[in-house]
Amino acid sequence: MNKKWIESNTFHHSEFKDIERLVNAKKRKKCSISLCLPTLNEEKTIAKEIVIMRSELMTRYPLIDEIVVIDSGSADKTRQIARSYDATVYQADDILPHLERFKGKGENLWKALYVTRGDIIVYIDADIKNIHHRFAYGLLGPLLLSDRVRFTKAFYDRPISMGDNKLHPTGGGRVTELVTRPLFSLFMPDLTQFVQPLSGEYAGYRDIFENIPFHIGYGVETGMLIDIYEKWGLDVMAQVDLDRRVHKNQDTKALGRMAFVIIKTFLNRVQKLNRVVIKQKIFDEMIQYSLIRDMLQPQMHLLAQFERPPMSQIPDYMERSADRESSTLSGNDAPPLRTIETPNKK
Amino acid sequence: MESYLDVLPSFVDQIRKIREIIISNIVLIGQISAPTFYERRRAEALVERLADFQVDDCSIDDFGNPIGVIRGASAERQSIFVVAHLDTFSNVEADQNYEVTDKTISGMGVSDNSAAVGVLASLPEVFNRLGLTFESDIVLVAPSHSLARGNLRGIRRLLQTWPTPIRGAICLESVELGRLNYYSDGMIRGEISCSIASERPWGRHHQPNAIIVINEVINAILGLRLPQKPRTQIVIGKIAGGFNHGKIAYDANIGFEIRSDADEIVNALYSDMRDIVDGINKAFAVELKLNRISNLDATRLPYNHPLVKCASRILNRLGVEAVSEPSETALSIFLQRNIPAVTLGLTHGDNYHQDGAMIEIEPIYKGISQIPALIMAMDNGVCDE
Repeated sequence: MNKKWIESNTFHHSEFKDIERLVNAKKRKKCSISLCLPTLNEEKTIAKEIVIMRSELMTRYPLIDEIVVIDSGSADKTRQIARSYDATVYQADDILPHLERFKGKGENLWKALYVTRGDIIVYIDADIKNIHHRFAYGLLGPLLLSDRVRFTKAFYDRPISMGDNKLHPTGGGRVTELVTRPLFSLFMPDLTQFVQPLSGEYAGYRDIFENIPFHIGYGVETGMLIDIYEKWGLDVMAQVDLDRRVHKNQDTKALGRMAFVIIKTFLNRVQKLNRVVIKQKIFDEMIQYSLIRDMLQPQMHLLAQFERPPMSQIPDYMERSADRESSTLSGNDAPPLRTIETPNKK
Repeated sequence: MESYLDVLPSFVDQIRKIREIIISNIVLIGQISAPTFYERRRAEALVERLADFQVDDCSIDDFGNPIGVIRGASAERQSIFVVAHLDTFSNVEADQNYEVTDKTISGMGVSDNSAAVGVLASLPEVFNRLGLTFESDIVLVAPSHSLARGNLRGIRRLLQTWPTPIRGAICLESVELGRLNYYSDGMIRGEISCSIASERPWGRHHQPNAIIVINEVINAILGLRLPQKPRTQIVIGKIAGGFNHGKIAYDANIGFEIRSDADEIVNALYSDMRDIVDGINKAFAVELKLNRISNLDATRLPYNHPLVKCASRILNRLGVEAVSEPSETALSIFLQRNIPAVTLGLTHGDNYHQDGAMIEIEPIYKGISQIPALIMAMDNGVCDE
């Protein structure tokens, strides 16, 4: 196990609070940056995220070049509110519509690769109640100031919001400590050094994200870590302490379903890597029980595993990338953001 | 004067273009809790923001007031103050998370007075976007210890020690747009508390109940004769007491405010209340105390003062009806020191002092546009006339 990684590749967001320095580094690297917010019914938090990021990292400092919301079909006002603050908003189903449709955060992140234009992509969950621009600049810091780091992942001191203005502190996350870390310890000890491997905030260069498959649902973070680790090694990865993150609480059963998907993603990966052989069928249903009128009744949750191939293998994307390359070669300092049809006027 | 009245519509449009900065300042500063006497973290955040926006001199003074000074071009070093009180009525010391939609910002304290503090932090950028520079120093202050027991201590002390002449002041309140305060009533704010020693061996039928005693006090206050002129009012605004439905209350208290156009009436009524408390104290043999927590003298600018007329014309040009009422805020302290001052409201809101406190976003652009226009007038000498 590479024990030095945690010392050399763990940062605190305060190391990158000089945003002007990041802007200068971005100019030197001649790169552009996209912020992607995957959403599903986030009308209570989406506006604040867009407003603060736009104010601090676009209007005041030209660090981020675009904010893109990829929505899974919210039934509330998420899309309307996001548009009112000039974010570019897509419904996931409208992107690459000829492909089979899936619902899930991973699907949104994957499709974001097709519609965003930046060389670096920052993914931030849209349900963060205490959003601050450190969530973005903290993740961007190592990518811009180091020539080695290509992918950054957040970790936090994360209280859970219980309503009535009460916050309850938690550890590293229950699913992390009970599922992910034991699995990593068993098969890939290097990856245990990630304090919160399941955190929903990460950033990286496009050439990293476009060359890995994306799990559609809860398994996206686990799969992503394993794939980047296997393909490029631990040294291209870093983690950043973003302090406190206040988010919605999930009940134990919801966490159980999340754990199911993560275990399945993990088993799928280690099988593909020929690290284990599983000689039986792996089922797609998570079975949970509830006490209804003094009777334990099973509830079946179909949690089928879907995965998108690396975006770089999708013909539409290859075509778009070729366009981008040719425009980059036309002599501009920073690569121009690719021109794509904006959906906001629909 | 007409020149900046004419540019007001363009001010509103320009200010709307930096809405994200304004909303961010309101949210990032307002989410930091700041009960009276516990405002330090919010003060530090505000000073940091002002420094981020390239304000010339940023500091927190010895009284806990965060101050940013935008240096003016004139060598005379005269100042125009813009103030928004830093503390909120909430006693919650944990940070709050505000919610933003396309139309509103909601969260504890946003309408009193976090939105105004956020706007104060945005003013350097507003001036920058409007291309405005001034002859006078523009002093941006969020006075600490303003509310209730704070008794406007922050602004009182700041003005006692401010080294240069002050041409005038604009006090900002989050709500309501159209508010134009230029006078303060005389006011005494106080509390009456009743406490009964629980261990004293009262006979079963003779143990007094603190709530009943306080009720006697309220009835006696309601019996006081208040003159119609000078206009006078006693407000009993707070009450608390007891601990269990079935137990005699050992403690109870009320909070009140006496207001009048005339200071002597306020003092006379306070004296009457002291007599009431002394009388009931003797009748019930309990520990009944009257405690003054803050006071202000009545003071005013004349309605036809150029600053008031100017502020009124600005509101009129913005299509907003001016509403004047007495205001017992930092305004009083400026006026007592013969510094021309007005209080302006910035937007519309609801549930001012409750969990669901909310302000509307769109009206705030008009609300903010009053500030540079009025500063331009003050900088050109409207208060010096």
